[in-house]
Amino acid sequence: MTRLTRRTFMTAATGAAATATLGAPSFAQAYPSRPIQLICPWGAGGGTDAVARIVGTLLEKDLGQPVTVVNRTGGNGVVGHSAIATAAPDGYTIGLLTVEIVMMHWMGLTQLGPADYTPIGLVNEDAPVVIVKSDGPYKDLKALIDAIKANPGKLKASGTAQGGIWHLALVGMLQALKIPPSAVPWVPSTGAAAGLQDLVAGGVDIVCCSAPEGKSLVDAGRVKYLTVMAPRRDPTLPDLQTLKEITGAEYATGVWRGIAGPKNLPAPIFDKLLASLKKAYDSKEYKEFMTNRNFGMSWSAGPDFGAFMVKADAAMGESMKSAGLAK
Amino acid sequence: MDILIQAFLLVVRPDVIVTILLASLFGLFVGAIPGLTATMATALLVPVTFFMDPIPALGAIVTASAMAIFSGDIPAALLRMPGTPASAAYTDESYKLGKKGMLDLTLGTNVVFSAMGGMFGVAILVFAAPWLAEVALKFSSFEYFWLACLGLTCAVFISTTDPVKGFASLFLGLAFATVGIDPVVGHPRFTFGSIELLQGISFIPAMIALFAVSEVLRQALVIGDPVEQVSAHIGNIFKGIGAMIRRYKFNFLRSSTIGVAIGALPGAGGDIAAWITYAVSKKFSKEPEKFGTGHIEGIVDATSANNAALAGAWIPALVFGIPGDSITAIVIGVLYMKGMNPGPTVFLHNPQLIYGVFIIFIIANLMLVPLGLIAIKSAKQILRLPRQLLIPIILMFCIVGAFAITNSILAVVILLVLGILGWVLEENGFPVAPIILGMVLGEMLEMNFMTSMIKADGSFLAFFERPIAGVLGAMTLLVWAGMIWTGLRPKRAAA
Amino acid sequence: MRANDAICGLVLLVLAAVMAALTIPFPEFPGQNYGPDLLPRILSVALAICGALLIKRGWQARGQGDPWFTRPAWLGVPIKVMRLLLVIAALLFYIFAGDPLGFLPVSFIIIAVLAIAFGGRPFWALVAALVATLAINYFFGSIMRVPLPRGILDLFV
Repeated sequence: MTRLTRRTFMTAATGAAATATLGAPSFAQAYPSRPIQLICPWGAGGGTDAVARIVGTLLEKDLGQPVTVVNRTGGNGVVGHSAIATAAPDGYTIGLLTVEIVMMHWMGLTQLGPADYTPIGLVNEDAPVVIVKSDGPYKDLKALIDAIKANPGKLKASGTAQGGIWHLALVGMLQALKIPPSAVPWVPSTGAAAGLQDLVAGGVDIVCCSAPEGKSLVDAGRVKYLTVMAPRRDPTLPDLQTLKEITGAEYATGVWRGIAGPKNLPAPIFDKLLASLKKAYDSKEYKEFMTNRNFGMSWSAGPDFGAFMVKADAAMGESMKSAGLAK
Repeated sequence: MDILIQAFLLVVRPDVIVTILLASLFGLFVGAIPGLTATMATALLVPVTFFMDPIPALGAIVTASAMAIFSGDIPAALLRMPGTPASAAYTDESYKLGKKGMLDLTLGTNVVFSAMGGMFGVAILVFAAPWLAEVALKFSSFEYFWLACLGLTCAVFISTTDPVKGFASLFLGLAFATVGIDPVVGHPRFTFGSIELLQGISFIPAMIALFAVSEVLRQALVIGDPVEQVSAHIGNIFKGIGAMIRRYKFNFLRSSTIGVAIGALPGAGGDIAAWITYAVSKKFSKEPEKFGTGHIEGIVDATSANNAALAGAWIPALVFGIPGDSITAIVIGVLYMKGMNPGPTVFLHNPQLIYGVFIIFIIANLMLVPLGLIAIKSAKQILRLPRQLLIPIILMFCIVGAFAITNSILAVVILLVLGILGWVLEENGFPVAPIILGMVLGEMLEMNFMTSMIKADGSFLAFFERPIAGVLGAMTLLVWAGMIWTGLRPKRAAA
Repeated sequence: MRANDAICGLVLLVLAAVMAALTIPFPEFPGQNYGPDLLPRILSVALAICGALLIKRGWQARGQGDPWFTRPAWLGVPIKVMRLLLVIAALLFYIFAGDPLGFLPVSFIIIAVLAIAFGGRPFWALVAALVATLAINYFFGSIMRVPLPRGILDLFV
């Protein structure tokens, strides 16, 4: 805490000095005149990192200054998100926000929320899928639900940390189906890959994660998708029925990722970044990349992204409280 | 055959050759500088490889990591600072050998057995990948828990002089690993309200601190004294290697096999492989009393194993898209980026690319010997630099290397605190290597114990119910029983 | 600075006690038999045992004339003490001045000062500091894109 305060102070001081030396107008006009950092709250090589890097590369092409992806990991996303929020709002530090920004504060891990950022644009959304072993006893979702009801507490599920988005998705689904959440205990894992490995090894029975995360094991014929919790089917998986189609119960949630800067980003800088990000989102490269990795495309700009987060925040608070995961 | 020719043509292109040559030099350099690690080498390559073609991109990562894992041995022998965590297990041993005037033999062993271990790993990767991946996928938290226990047991074999202090160091390492958000329920532990500490004490900065920074502190006190330098004279490093291969061929086979197997297990990589094979080597050696005094046998084992593990880690990564270690975790991201989605389908859709990667693996391990020789010779030149200049520069490399892993100033704070701690501990006869072992295994131990208990609804019997877990569990208990037995015997004789 | 084993043991005991005490406010987690306090508590017991064994051993050594502290030879050589403290100061300097000043000046100052303090010739110390700083900055900062702090560099761009 103290260190961050000190850093904020120092950066603010340097920023003020810079403005004083150069004069405010030239400062904004010249933007960007030096490399930009794009903070990613998750590790190199993962899905969020990949999105950050493709966006960073496309921004770099348009802005003409290096955009460096900086991985600030740890604390289930708190460290990176707080590094974005506490950076100087000069446009030289922006970051990738993930759904965790509307979850962490409900768990009491941080005070940070959507209000601490200048939202620039939402770039991706992925819905949760339910995955089981291909050679296991459950041929479809109905069979799985029957097994859960017949033996509450026996089947275990995994896919992320305790209280993570996929845990919440499972609880939400169970509640929509009028099954108490305790009927399927959650086994925390370090990520979807570890959870899937445990599923194949026979350590857990169900994995809840996003479709792209399960893709390689599905292609390998080891595991299968049972349903997707979304209002409509995933265009890349046209045969996979939604939860509502199968059970009539309505529940949808998911991960999303978007670009944002610290609070109070000056308007000219914001405009420049937004225009650049929109261009990146509409580019052929971005579309190709996202389709190739099965990532869902989704766009909303600036204030719309902000409103989206506020709405998501309220919804998340409600479902986390009812799931008993909020502090 | 067509595919092989296609793959070969993909590799013998000037741009690919230049890329892997540059990547080799990069890997050798990063590995050989204390403070810069193999994981960092791979992580730094991600943005560079982002828009390359798949073959040069993957080739760069393969060669850089293989070179870095080997060249981490060089500063271990010359300066007593391991270049990468995978060399930490036998740093002391290498340095003592060097002091005994056997620097040539040590470095020759490192380079030759690293290349051979790497080759062995590639062979397994090429011929047995699907089968081994199958076995690796049978490991759930119960098996990992026992594996972590076996790993911790190694601490007993590596800390030679003083068991009580060795254990104290191990427990300290495990305690450091508990700082940060706990892996099971997400509760912050020992963070004292600091956001930075939520990320925990990351083990690579800790390794740099405990070995390299503490050595810088020691050097600060002896600099200018007439030093008993490790004779920086390097002659023919290949002299006597033939005899070594003949003498330790069985060690080599055993440790390379263990290395590949451990590498193939998701979450366990070359560093753990080096510890375990070193301990196994001592346990089964005809002359275990020589271990820790500057004896080559354990180095043969561990240096083969950590390079073999490198190829092993690619097995689950390629076959199932599940990373075998921190390096392949990054590789999988690159594979996706190149549209080569890992999984069995990658062998169907893009076999020429996969065979291309295999060919690069082989080339990398062949190049390891001549390039390794050049690296050793240049390291000698660097050592000629006066220590007064060398030590401050190494300190700066430590800072940059620790920072680049987490991009957080906390890494430098870790350097400071653990650097001083490592120095004080060493002064008082506490070995620092077990701290690293504890930090590597801490989360693995806790996470897998906790999740197993949740799965088993609190029943301890479940730890023995699955076949592999049962075998591993029985092995662990047997080893422990044996240790208690031998621990009690001399006391009885004395009484 | 070598201390008697009993002192090392005492430090371990205190550490174990602090660790155990810090786990007391950890909350219970419903539905889980063991919480995040389990491993730290086991470790504090284990460390306490090591501590107790060391105290016993140190006490016996005391009986045979082992002093509480062995005064190391370097403590009597002011320049060595200064060098040791300078290494520590260098890391502190980087931690506190790295962000505001930036990598270039801080790295240059650290390498130059340490090299001179270690007895290097000032000219070569400055050359080494300059070359190493520029090389590290170019290689890691520019090519490999490590976000080294820019500090006062921002004022000039």
